Amino acid sequence: MSKYSIIGTNTPRVDSPAKATGRALYADDIKLPGMLHGQILRSPLAHARILNIDISKAAALPGVKAVITGEDTPKVKFGNWRLFPDTQDEYPLAVDKVRFIGDEVAAVVAIDNDLACEALDLIKVEYEELPANFSVDESMAPGAPVIHDYRPDNISLNRKIEYGDLVKGFAEADFIAENTFEVHAVSHAYMEPCACVAQSDDDGRVTLWTSTQVPYIVQCLLASTLGLRENDVRVIKPVVGGGFGGKMELRAWEFCAAFLARRTGKPVKFRLSRTDELAYGRRRHGMKLYSKVGFKKDGTITAKDFRADLDGGAYNSMGPTATFLCGNFGAMLYRYPNYRYNGYHIYTNKPPAGAMRGFGAPQALFASETQMNMAAEALGLDPIEIRIKNAMVPGDQIPDVATVSSCGFIECLQEVAKMSGWKAKRAACAESRDGKGMGVGCYSFISGGVFNWLYTQYTFSAAEIRAFEDGTVHLLTPATDIGQGSDTTLKQILAEELGLRMEDIRLTVADTSVTPQSDLGTWGSRVTLMGGNAVRDAAAKIKKALAGVVSLKFDLNVIHDIGFKDGKIFPVTRPDRCLTFGQAVHMHQKFKRGEPLVARGYYVPRGKGLVTPAFSFGAQVAEVQVDRETGIVKVEKMYTAHDCGTVINPMSVDGQLEGSIEMGLGYALCERFVMDKGRTLNTTFLDYKVPTALDMPPGESVCIETFESEGPFGAKEAGEGLVSPTAPAIAEAISQATGYRFKDLPITPEKVLEGIGGLRKV
Amino acid sequence: MKHLIHLKVNGDDYELAVAPHRTLNEVLREDLALTGTKFGCGTGDCGACTVIMNGRNVSSCLTLAVEANGQDIMTIEGLAPSGQELHPIQEAFVTYGAIQCGFCTPGMIMSAKVLLDKNPNPDEPDIRAGLSGNLCRCTGYNKIVEAIEKAAHQMNQD
Amino acid sequence: MPLPKFKYLAPKTWEEACAMLAQYKGKVRVMAGGTDLLIKMSLGAAAPEYVIGLKNIPGLDYIKYDQTKGLTLGPLALLADVADHPMIKEKYDAVAHAASVTATVQVRNMGTVAGNICNAAPSADNIPALMALDAEVTLARLGGKRTVKLDDFFQGPGKTVMEPEELLEKITVPAPLPGSGTAYLKISPRSKVDIAAVGVGAHLVMAGDVCQMARIVLGAVAPVPMRARKAESLLTGQQLTTDLINQTAAQAADEARPITDVRTTAEYRKTMVYVLTRRAINACAQKALPPCAK
Repeated sequence: MSKYSIIGTNTPRVDSPAKATGRALYADDIKLPGMLHGQILRSPLAHARILNIDISKAAALPGVKAVITGEDTPKVKFGNWRLFPDTQDEYPLAVDKVRFIGDEVAAVVAIDNDLACEALDLIKVEYEELPANFSVDESMAPGAPVIHDYRPDNISLNRKIEYGDLVKGFAEADFIAENTFEVHAVSHAYMEPCACVAQSDDDGRVTLWTSTQVPYIVQCLLASTLGLRENDVRVIKPVVGGGFGGKMELRAWEFCAAFLARRTGKPVKFRLSRTDELAYGRRRHGMKLYSKVGFKKDGTITAKDFRADLDGGAYNSMGPTATFLCGNFGAMLYRYPNYRYNGYHIYTNKPPAGAMRGFGAPQALFASETQMNMAAEALGLDPIEIRIKNAMVPGDQIPDVATVSSCGFIECLQEVAKMSGWKAKRAACAESRDGKGMGVGCYSFISGGVFNWLYTQYTFSAAEIRAFEDGTVHLLTPATDIGQGSDTTLKQILAEELGLRMEDIRLTVADTSVTPQSDLGTWGSRVTLMGGNAVRDAAAKIKKALAGVVSLKFDLNVIHDIGFKDGKIFPVTRPDRCLTFGQAVHMHQKFKRGEPLVARGYYVPRGKGLVTPAFSFGAQVAEVQVDRETGIVKVEKMYTAHDCGTVINPMSVDGQLEGSIEMGLGYALCERFVMDKGRTLNTTFLDYKVPTALDMPPGESVCIETFESEGPFGAKEAGEGLVSPTAPAIAEAISQATGYRFKDLPITPEKVLEGIGGLRKV
Repeated sequence: MKHLIHLKVNGDDYELAVAPHRTLNEVLREDLALTGTKFGCGTGDCGACTVIMNGRNVSSCLTLAVEANGQDIMTIEGLAPSGQELHPIQEAFVTYGAIQCGFCTPGMIMSAKVLLDKNPNPDEPDIRAGLSGNLCRCTGYNKIVEAIEKAAHQMNQD
Repeated sequence: MPLPKFKYLAPKTWEEACAMLAQYKGKVRVMAGGTDLLIKMSLGAAAPEYVIGLKNIPGLDYIKYDQTKGLTLGPLALLADVADHPMIKEKYDAVAHAASVTATVQVRNMGTVAGNICNAAPSADNIPALMALDAEVTLARLGGKRTVKLDDFFQGPGKTVMEPEELLEKITVPAPLPGSGTAYLKISPRSKVDIAAVGVGAHLVMAGDVCQMARIVLGAVAPVPMRARKAESLLTGQQLTTDLINQTAAQAADEARPITDVRTTAEYRKTMVYVLTRRAINACAQKALPPCAK
């Protein structure tokens, strides 16, 4: 029997009844008295100087309450890399120049949405069109048009990692794989379009309800762009309909809502259309990846030289972090004794790429996993065997960057081979000529980032617990549930710690004026580990106080261990001497002469390097059936073995896995943006192809439980790394099925036929 | 010119004056404050706005409110009207982890309801086909399919 | 974006609808299910001053079958009802199948076959199936009507021979001949719930293993859904052999005039015409066999 009551159980999501009944309130469900509706005018040109904006007709339209352009704003740039102000390159509304089709130019608020849209058509903008760059190659060409004056070479950032001796490493190699890979931009395609409502009080303080992953970051950046103090801005996260990295910055509509609420004195709502989201929204970085890896005959890796050119689009957004992380992920999974990474984040006149689930890993790992498969083929080794040979183990280091603590990677590889029947089935696929293939892909990911470009004086996460004599507690946490389930996970952690039931815990989350400072939000798979540790820290303080009460009450020897279980507090060896949780709180409060029992907890990763306190690992096998006539790939089954440390909620972890497979499947096979000179052509879900229920294969999975000493109850990340192995696993399976090696994504039916020479000439 | 319409929503009668260009989705959400029905795409591709009209699941974003005049409409709020007990489909979605961000959930449950009304014993391909007009970006669908299988079983027992 | 403003007209009778159409000619759009028109309007691709809603006229969603006249679909016959209709499934399975793979469940519950035809998208799923079965449409106007074969109906993407004052009154599909088999096959990059990147409708009438009549219609590979007439002629009067089928499919691919667009490339479309035509002919031949031979 498990030593835990709630950790490790399939606890239903605490917010799911509200979501199942339609009662859950998302940002667009909020309606305040007198609320105005906003719309944003966007640039129709990819690169142009703004010569003049005439808002007079729009402003004169009855029912329109305000029209603003960049000139009306304080003109403060924003960007999440506050620590390096140079990288903050974007104004909430364009000043002087527009840099992509969709760049925000002006905003309108009116008494209804129809009028706001009508007013947009009345704003006249004169542009001087400038030559533009639509690809990394165009931007890097000598004499290319300059997108930002501060970067005349259009390279916004160059990130390097280097250790070991590359020359020596390659000299020792018997086989060198040297390839170029190209991966594409894709959309987060969260189901809830971005929306927010802002309200200003009589003192000019602003409250913003917004669909965000990062309330605190929005608070900081909104304050600076509005010229307010941080404490003058309150950001509240309502229920959020998915983010996947797409809602982790301050965005123009959030600024405009707050600015216009202050200006008009009325609440203001903005909601994006799906076209806004797909045509102009942030996306995953498309990249060109150049990778050279040396192997000995037995498969041992000797060196890796890796370069990534990231197509950043018109602004930095979260691109610098993606550039940084791409190089780290390129060094993960295997022991690369000699390694060099050069990442270039390059401006183009396209919608900016930002953070997206995996954050540099899906791209880096598509390249490195495909190369491992190619090396196995070239050296006549089994793809899983060559991985086991090079796999990271606990204690491995990436010099100056990170140390691997818990790591069950080899076990994952062994398990996925076993559960998928790898050896026999893969051999059978190789023999058959009927389009069947089987492939493997792996991942490692961070459990929260230590790098903190936002530059804040606060701890990385926090929690407050208020205990009540009725036997309940109130958990206040800035952690931000966007659908991944952190409300449930954190409640489970607290319930386990205090020996309470889920229903004994009241939860208040992600309200920057109410929940304790601070938390960087939901990204980089940080919440379970960092938020969970803050909850545990606060719980430890509550427990210490209440253990004292029990100790006093029963005059216990100080050596007793005090247990918290089933609503009772007791010495572990003498469970009969117990107080209920409520009784203990009552006595503590009496002793403190009425002062309530409240504790705050915090977490900061210390001595863990610059990347992360803990890495997750996993291996995945895909089985596909390729129709060699149509090029259509059917993914028949996915097998996954992954190490996320202690599993806090198996059903939730499994849900993250299945959602990751769906997203990885779309990335591998059918999702892409069709672009023409900076314009996105597929701007509906008819033509931007998110997988449906019919596309999703069945799967089997196993959690390889390791114990991560830095994680709460030994847990680490489970929600993000899993998005990376699917594309390389599927690509390898297709390569086996067709005999053609795919080095770029997505693998569309057209490409499959082209690869196997099955296309007819026009 | 506005049109006077009569809607029966979740058993309740509403008389409304609506402009012709307003969709059923807008009227449900803005005029009737039934915000459980979501707006996800506006082009009938995502299914987040699905409601049941005369026993069929339809996209409320592609239905003009004037054309819903006189029709019998059910939204997610009408599935378990007491607000206390959950409908077996809702119960199964909660129990089997079919809900993550929840934005697709109301529409997904509406489609599931029509599916099970028409076919109380669907097999897995039937369920996947019945849900194919409802996109979900979080769950990978498999837990939703499982929840509907379990709900069907439960409803057949009851 | 919200829908643009318009005036909604709600005729109660067919005649009233025809009269309104004549009165507001050029400024009006007719709406059946609305699943195409409202999307166009919300994306800014259409902004009519008036919209005539046909749903207020009772009884337009009929589906009728008669042994001599064949199948008749009313202007509001729903995609979902056509897809699920037992008689259509039995006698016109390509028609039922095409309706069943059009768009999504919800759209099929709202959209109509007539609307899919009038919208005249080259990729429309229902058109290749109906054209392969030699369907015709009856167009009505105030004081008159005419019948046009689908073969002659389409003029370009979104363009048909319909005059601004005409309404599609019904779709008629001849009764199936003995020995006939029909098929509609489509390719789309996602699962079947999708817009067709290529669609092929086929109809063969077989006498033993000899093909007496063949119609092959290609969707999404030309500005209009097109007959592959040379391919058809290769089959007519011939014994079906694997070689002949391959040759016919290759001929159909030659006749296709596809473009590259957001959905796929011209090369892929041409290739799929070959593959789908071959598969469709085989499917038709299989279905046309007498029951004892199956």
